[in-house]
Amino acid sequence: MIVEQIPVDQFVAQLSHSGIRVKLGPVNVRIQTKLPHLAKQLRFLYAYYDLIENEIVDIHTHILPKFSFSNPLSSFIRFTVDGQSPFPPFPADQALAALEWGINLVIAVRTNHLLMFHSAAVERNGSLILLPAWPGSGKTTLCTALIHKGYRLFSDEFGLMDPLSDFFTPIPRLMPLKNQSIQVIRDYLPEAVLGEEIHNTQKGTIAHVRPPRDHVLKTDQVAKAKWIIFPKWTANAPLKLEQLPESEAFLLLASNSFNYEILGESAFKAVTRLIKKCQCYQLVYSDLDSALAMFNKLTDEA
Amino acid sequence: MKLNLSHHHQLLLNAIVNPGTLVRYNHAEWELLLRLARKVKLLGFLAVELEKRKLLNTIPVRALNQLRSSLIRAKKQQQLAFWELDRINWALKFIQVPIIALKGVAYQLAELPTAEGRFFVDLDILIPKDNLDQVEKTLLKEGWKHREISPYDEHYYRAWSHEIPALIHQERETEIDIHHTISPITSKIKIDSCLLIDAAITTQSGYKTLNPSDMVLHCAVNLFQNNDLVDNLRDLLDLHDQLQYFASQDSSFWDKLIIRANQLRLGCPLYYGMQYSRLIFQTAIPQNTEQHLTQKPSLISQLIMQQLVPLALFPLHPDKASKRARFARFFLYIRSHWIRMPFYLLIPHLLYKTLLRFRPRK
Repeated sequence: MIVEQIPVDQFVAQLSHSGIRVKLGPVNVRIQTKLPHLAKQLRFLYAYYDLIENEIVDIHTHILPKFSFSNPLSSFIRFTVDGQSPFPPFPADQALAALEWGINLVIAVRTNHLLMFHSAAVERNGSLILLPAWPGSGKTTLCTALIHKGYRLFSDEFGLMDPLSDFFTPIPRLMPLKNQSIQVIRDYLPEAVLGEEIHNTQKGTIAHVRPPRDHVLKTDQVAKAKWIIFPKWTANAPLKLEQLPESEAFLLLASNSFNYEILGESAFKAVTRLIKKCQCYQLVYSDLDSALAMFNKLTDEA
Repeated sequence: MKLNLSHHHQLLLNAIVNPGTLVRYNHAEWELLLRLARKVKLLGFLAVELEKRKLLNTIPVRALNQLRSSLIRAKKQQQLAFWELDRINWALKFIQVPIIALKGVAYQLAELPTAEGRFFVDLDILIPKDNLDQVEKTLLKEGWKHREISPYDEHYYRAWSHEIPALIHQERETEIDIHHTISPITSKIKIDSCLLIDAAITTQSGYKTLNPSDMVLHCAVNLFQNNDLVDNLRDLLDLHDQLQYFASQDSSFWDKLIIRANQLRLGCPLYYGMQYSRLIFQTAIPQNTEQHLTQKPSLISQLIMQQLVPLALFPLHPDKASKRARFARFFLYIRSHWIRMPFYLLIPHLLYKTLLRFRPRK
């Protein structure tokens, strides 16, 4: 059963009592909240996620109203995981952003059985393209474009690799477009489904892209990486794809991982294998059409 | 004394004492257990216990992933703490000062059976008070620094605490807590730390730890004198582990422990430590051992503590915390301050702490 299959009333009631239990790829999350506005957003954006029964939930979250002594007239919310808030309260209208950010934070802190890259990841023809990048390099925008043009979504944020098998696991979460990217995607991909715009967050205005249904339903289909492309969006720059020497790719990739140091030797070996097996490139682009053409050409040749 | 545990406490305790039975836990039980064990920092412990029994692959995969993740993290932290110990020994090599490892790192040096999966983030060391200035200055010169803290906290550490504000190397993340004794200066318990330092032992690795009796006493003092016991089940498990292990290594351990406790006048915390370790983990302590302590808590204190200690040590139910447990924790929080500071310091300190909670966050 998926979220959109349960009646709205029941969904809202469940959220405010025992919480809904959803499968977000490899992590199961329980979400509790009494906020009607957040319930409405979740019902829409989480529509295709599996509701789980008889399985262990990994992360238990709760979004609660919070009274602020220093700012008693505004309404705030608190994100908690097992009763603890990992960060200060958010304005109430940013509840969804707080929830998404909070879940990502908990995943990043707790997951060490997988090597975790700060990376978008998509699949075509059975092979994975890893797109590691720092915040602000446009990886969410590029990822959104790719998955609406024939590529399967793994993640816009986490490249999760099992260092024992080298398989990557999809974790298709909502994809937060920031500021100008929102209009770029609205113009370029009218078919993309976006949540409402959330203003004045720490990263400016954000709007979440709902991952398409067939991508969410295929979260158990893992893949091995074949290409590692470090993308960088630069205004008006002509498209440039440059092959990276192994040594440079290694350093870029290792320093991009969230838990490379924690995993130690197994991370070193995993990144080494990855670099040896993959084609590694640096990509500079400014428009999505030419970038997509390049991706298609690269993955067709395979 | 009888132990009355609620269902979720029983679920956790059973996992700790009989890890073999975990193969029979259903998904709902595992889910609750993982939340509870995370709260009391025992996921790494469970991972190691299951690994020893070759049972890791019989448990649900989500549980396995969480246990493995925690164990990997715990081992990394251990490695970092040991590296920091190596580095401060390097930095202080020209000063003739004994550096005695405490807590997590010391348990590993002592090769305690449950040390392998133990999670700890700081390096705790004990040095003679007379060397404190010199050690701090040298470390500051060699690249360590203090984290920024408020003038009030600075004063709290310098005037009342048994440790100085934590040091951290500018290129690394491991905090070093430098202790000059094992209980706050303001505490009703007065300990001559020279006695502990003189009796310290050198382990095979060349690093120093407290001797077995003193290690046990430090653990008991930390639990029942320095802290409020909230979610400290892991520390009681440390105590249990130490008592069992040292008694198995040395047939006269119990006599030595009692003599040492009497000499250092630490009967009260040890009395509680032995009682609750036996009550909760069935530690094989010979009957009446603790009766030979010259100092024991009064009967009325014991009766009150009986009502409170288990409720504080075991974690609250993550979805439905009982009011009684919350009260017990509040009471023990007050107690921990009460026994740590005289009244004329305590009231302003608690007032300050309370006011701080209502100040806007930066």
